[in-house]
Amino acid sequence: MRRALAILGCTLAVAGASGAAAAPPTPAPETRGRALYGQSCATCHGQNGEGSPRGPNLENSGAAAADFQLSTGRMPLPHPGAASERRQPAFGPRDIDALTAYIASLGHGPAIPVVSRGDLQEGREIFVSTCAACHSGSLAGGTLSSGQAAPPLLASTPTQIAEAIRLGPGAMPSFPRGVISDAQVNAIATYVTSLRPQLDHGGAPLGGFGPVPEGAVAWVFGLGLLALFIRLIGKRAP
Amino acid sequence: MIARMIARAGLRWMDRRLRAAALTREALAKVFPDHWSFMLGEIALYSFVTLVLTGVFLSLFFDPSTAETIYGGSYGPLRGSSVSAAYASAIELSFDIRGGLLFRQVHHWSALIFLAAIAIHACRIFFTGAFRTPREINWLVGVTLLLTSLANGFIGYSLLDDLLSGSGLRIGYSTFLSIPIVGTWVAYLVFGGEFPGDRVIPRFFSLHILLLPALIAGLIGAHMAILVRQKHSQFPGPGRNDHNVVGSKMWPTYAFRSLGLLSAVLAVSFGLGALVQVNPVWVWGPFSPSAGTTPAQPDWFLGWVEGLLRLFPAVEFRVLGYLVPSPFLPGVALPVLMVVALYAWPWLDRLVTGDRERHQVLDRVRDRPGRTAAGVWAVSLVVLLTFAASDDLVARGLSVPVQDYVVALRVVVLVVPVICGAVAYVLARALRGHPGSRLTTMEPRQIAGVLGLRRPEARRPPAPPGPRAERPAVPSEDAPDVVDSGSRHGG
Repeated sequence: MRRALAILGCTLAVAGASGAAAAPPTPAPETRGRALYGQSCATCHGQNGEGSPRGPNLENSGAAAADFQLSTGRMPLPHPGAASERRQPAFGPRDIDALTAYIASLGHGPAIPVVSRGDLQEGREIFVSTCAACHSGSLAGGTLSSGQAAPPLLASTPTQIAEAIRLGPGAMPSFPRGVISDAQVNAIATYVTSLRPQLDHGGAPLGGFGPVPEGAVAWVFGLGLLALFIRLIGKRAP
Repeated sequence: MIARMIARAGLRWMDRRLRAAALTREALAKVFPDHWSFMLGEIALYSFVTLVLTGVFLSLFFDPSTAETIYGGSYGPLRGSSVSAAYASAIELSFDIRGGLLFRQVHHWSALIFLAAIAIHACRIFFTGAFRTPREINWLVGVTLLLTSLANGFIGYSLLDDLLSGSGLRIGYSTFLSIPIVGTWVAYLVFGGEFPGDRVIPRFFSLHILLLPALIAGLIGAHMAILVRQKHSQFPGPGRNDHNVVGSKMWPTYAFRSLGLLSAVLAVSFGLGALVQVNPVWVWGPFSPSAGTTPAQPDWFLGWVEGLLRLFPAVEFRVLGYLVPSPFLPGVALPVLMVVALYAWPWLDRLVTGDRERHQVLDRVRDRPGRTAAGVWAVSLVVLLTFAASDDLVARGLSVPVQDYVVALRVVVLVVPVICGAVAYVLARALRGHPGSRLTTMEPRQIAGVLGLRRPEARRPPAPPGPRAERPAVPSEDAPDVVDSGSRHGG
């Protein structure tokens, strides 16, 4: 897992570097982002990110928010009024970078946090005490009041986890540096990525939902099979 | 040939000393009535055997202590963390001890199956009137077994000191606290002080592996000794009456059938333990009073209490100046009422039917529409309450606000069981006069007759159990046609 994270870090670094190297011949990412923004975002967020009755002002949202919303597929919404939830991203990584650069250029929002490997044990402790109450110890997500839900963290990348911690999207509170330090953010992201292979250590994980599906399996596949068995052997001899 | 002679000589030598041959011969010839539903209790019995076998293995490695230890096993995210010895040993069982996780999971699955089998067995007894005279004592023993097993299931689940079970333990503690006047004393008595404390895990361990299993084993012994003494009840059929037992002999028929069932119970429990994860305590993390995880439910067999707690409005009131806290009614009063009703059922049933006869032949479910309706009402109520315990998961799945869903469930839990009971009553009445028809083959006019929509035909009297009853089943070759319960070999 340590190696996988290191590779992930390298890949991100390389992607960043190649983006910078490829910049001079093609138009600057902001320019490209401006065009994409006009096609896919301006209807709701306004021609220059000033917002509209359909969507909030983005002038000071910053790169972190843009990257989080676009890379998790939450934006653009498939239709106005759709739920903000993880979807297949509408744009490829290059387009997301361009859009992010454009939105960052609009004002003074937070930049994309840089995540590196953190302390696994510390990450577990913080996750269980701070995150599990809503997102579940099994990363399955959870129910909140008023019809809201905390999303599962099964597909979140370390960068998305860091962005969510800092920004507090949706019903989630934001955790500034004074509450959770950068090192602790790294630790949480490290724990979440290393927990995933352990989620089915004991077999089929039943969605990580705990005793409810376990009870259903015990009745259907446990008692159900045995009841079928006694039904068969309990038949009278011909 | 020689081996056979040696075996014979050995057995003869033993019998000259133990005088067991006559007794064994009688036991092997014992007749059990044939019906698949009579083996539901046996599933519970063999699940208990599985629980004892796997539990002994687990007790060799589990450390029932809340002493702080530094975990040093192979589960990376926990290494170096300070956790209770109980939790650390549960993680070691799951990651470091060969076969430990398998045995842990088999133990948990067979506990879930054990209670499911008890529940369904109790339903069979209820709906067929098997609790009637002379079997009231075994009904009381059975209900006590159900409660003891519920308690041991909850205690065993709490022993691991993980975050999920710790939350359940806290609900248990708060429920004890909510008993007016004596609540604080009761809670302190059980937990040895304020929650969580460091006494409760060692105490629960003694209860879980010693006291309660001994009690369960003793009660199972009594349950079966009474069964042997009173002989097993039987369904109405040709040649069967209240004074005989018709069925298969212990040897060879029933012994092999039962051995097959033992194998099946072991196969299913180990199959689930090997393939399906249950209670991944490393995922939930160690218990800490300040932490929590979601979704949080108890094991299925306590879902009905959890459902009551979730659905019941939070009302507090004072009686004679003493506060009755909100968990008391749903968490203590209603469950106690339900248990008392369960214990008292044979006498409540007798109050209604006025039936004081001794019975060897069971009722068919249709024979007593009132009892059937009451049972269906109670079972559907408990099922819906169990379902209500997962309100957060269902609300999320349906994308509805959980508060609205709870309001809807409150209505459903009150209304739907009454509807189910009424439907069961009508169906039972419609089938009662037609011993040959089944739910799947009944005709609309039967229901119309019950509802008074058409003039009732000349009602045939309910077929008395005996030769005229519809079951054409033929006893198997090795079974005596009719075995008189008074004879030495009977029953």
